[in-house]
Amino acid sequence: MSVFDGLKFRKVSSPIHNLDPRIKFIYVIAIFISAILFHQILPLAILLLIQLPFVFLARVQKQWIRSLRGAAFLATFIFIINILTKFFYNNWTLTALDIETAIGMTMRFIVLVESFSVFFLTTSPDYLGLALEQSRMPYEFSFAFTTAVRFVPVLAEEAQTIMDAQKARGLELEKGNILKRIRNYIPILIPLIVSAIRRSLELAEAMESRAWGAAKKRTNLYLLKLHKGDCILISVTALILLVTIYVRLFLFSSIPLMNELISRLI
Amino acid sequence: MSIIEISDLVYTYPGASKPSIDGLSLNIEKGDFVLITGPSGCGKTSLCRTFNGLIPHFYSGELKGQIIVAGQNISGKKTFDLAKHVGLVFQNPENQLFALSVEKDVAFGLENLGMSRDEMRKRVDWALNLAGIYDLRERSPHEVSGGQQQRVAIASVLAMQPEIIVLDEPTSFLDPLSAERIFEVIYKLNQEQGITVVLVEHRLDLTVKYANHLVVMDKGKICFEGNPRDLLCNEEISRIGVGIPKATLLYKKLKAAGFDINKQIPLSSDEIADQLLKVLRP
Repeated sequence: MSVFDGLKFRKVSSPIHNLDPRIKFIYVIAIFISAILFHQILPLAILLLIQLPFVFLARVQKQWIRSLRGAAFLATFIFIINILTKFFYNNWTLTALDIETAIGMTMRFIVLVESFSVFFLTTSPDYLGLALEQSRMPYEFSFAFTTAVRFVPVLAEEAQTIMDAQKARGLELEKGNILKRIRNYIPILIPLIVSAIRRSLELAEAMESRAWGAAKKRTNLYLLKLHKGDCILISVTALILLVTIYVRLFLFSSIPLMNELISRLI
Repeated sequence: MSIIEISDLVYTYPGASKPSIDGLSLNIEKGDFVLITGPSGCGKTSLCRTFNGLIPHFYSGELKGQIIVAGQNISGKKTFDLAKHVGLVFQNPENQLFALSVEKDVAFGLENLGMSRDEMRKRVDWALNLAGIYDLRERSPHEVSGGQQQRVAIASVLAMQPEIIVLDEPTSFLDPLSAERIFEVIYKLNQEQGITVVLVEHRLDLTVKYANHLVVMDKGKICFEGNPRDLLCNEEISRIGVGIPKATLLYKKLKAAGFDINKQIPLSSDEIADQLLKVLRP
């Protein structure tokens, strides 16, 4: 079950959770673009620090750190690959500058991961579905999305039941080599898929019975409205974008490198 | 006035060799509380599916005979048109709730109908209150109990303000106490809102006291039909596999032993207790 725990969203109320998901998404995209525009450590470090107030306001530090820890493996991988290519490319030599570029690349990746994780940690799937619906997406898409999210815990529970039932009949899941272990899961998957199909038929029946497809234009119980917080976030996003573009266009070459800063200090 | 009129219905599922409903005629009056019972596989569920046109529109297959629901012949109507008149509640509460909050689920049908937000709000609150789940409106359907889920399903059907509510074994996933609460909600709707109720149920013990029209089905046909008190006197009914209420059984046994405690056949333990008390403490 623990695998699916991460997908369960707990309803929390915080200034960040209550923000309009569309605005939050624009903000994430802005951070994304900014991160791609720079490779130096200094601006990337600033972008990284900008996220912190969000994390603390939303009180999702624990989950956030967990998601960063999940990204740590990939980040290390990116760092090593960068170092190695530089190393081989420059005939088996490595300069301090190379290490700085490698760190910059890794940080860029971390900025991308953490901004997206802040978005997903603070946006309820319900809200996300609503945002999809109200940004003129066909309703079928957002319905498919929210229904999928809704049925994750249900299917997880069912998988557990089937696993228990098959184990009770003598199925040994943790036996043999990797290929054998994968094959062990077939008696779990087949009943799970069959029951999911049956479930989907019942769902379709229930949808039909509740006037699915009656009106051409569907209405919605909730309406997403922009509040004060959303306006602040829009301004913050605009500011970040403006500063990014300005720095990139006019000050790009004068961004100090860590190497220079350190050598100047020494 | 009949609200559901079925005449000479024969229905075969696609690919099935013999019909699931085999020559069935039924009249249901407006305001009735109809209880349909019978052994598994007797066609109860298929019959329920015809009320809002799931059969034949969703399931296809072969349908003969005529079904008129709320003055409309279902063969010419789409299921979503009939959904305004007939609300269907299914067996498994989990598979009829789609949204991530109770409130949104109750609003689902109304959203489909394209209702305005203010009207929708009013109807949703009304339905939530009637089903007694107003406090749960912001919870997620999968975190509430099975009984509460089934009440959400009832509320979501109620919000569309249908004239008829059809419940297909709504309590088979529930414990007896939650089941009883569901039946009380349904009975209240029938009595106070005048909604016609069609309930499919095995547990006559819990339900027959609410019904004024009992239908016993077997092999795609109706075997017995009428007032529950008259029907339960019939000896043949227990041979089909209908669970006769314990109170009625006790009454019959006493009668067979020569103690006819009352003219009226009891349907619930309360009734038989009253009758026995009258005899024991005259």
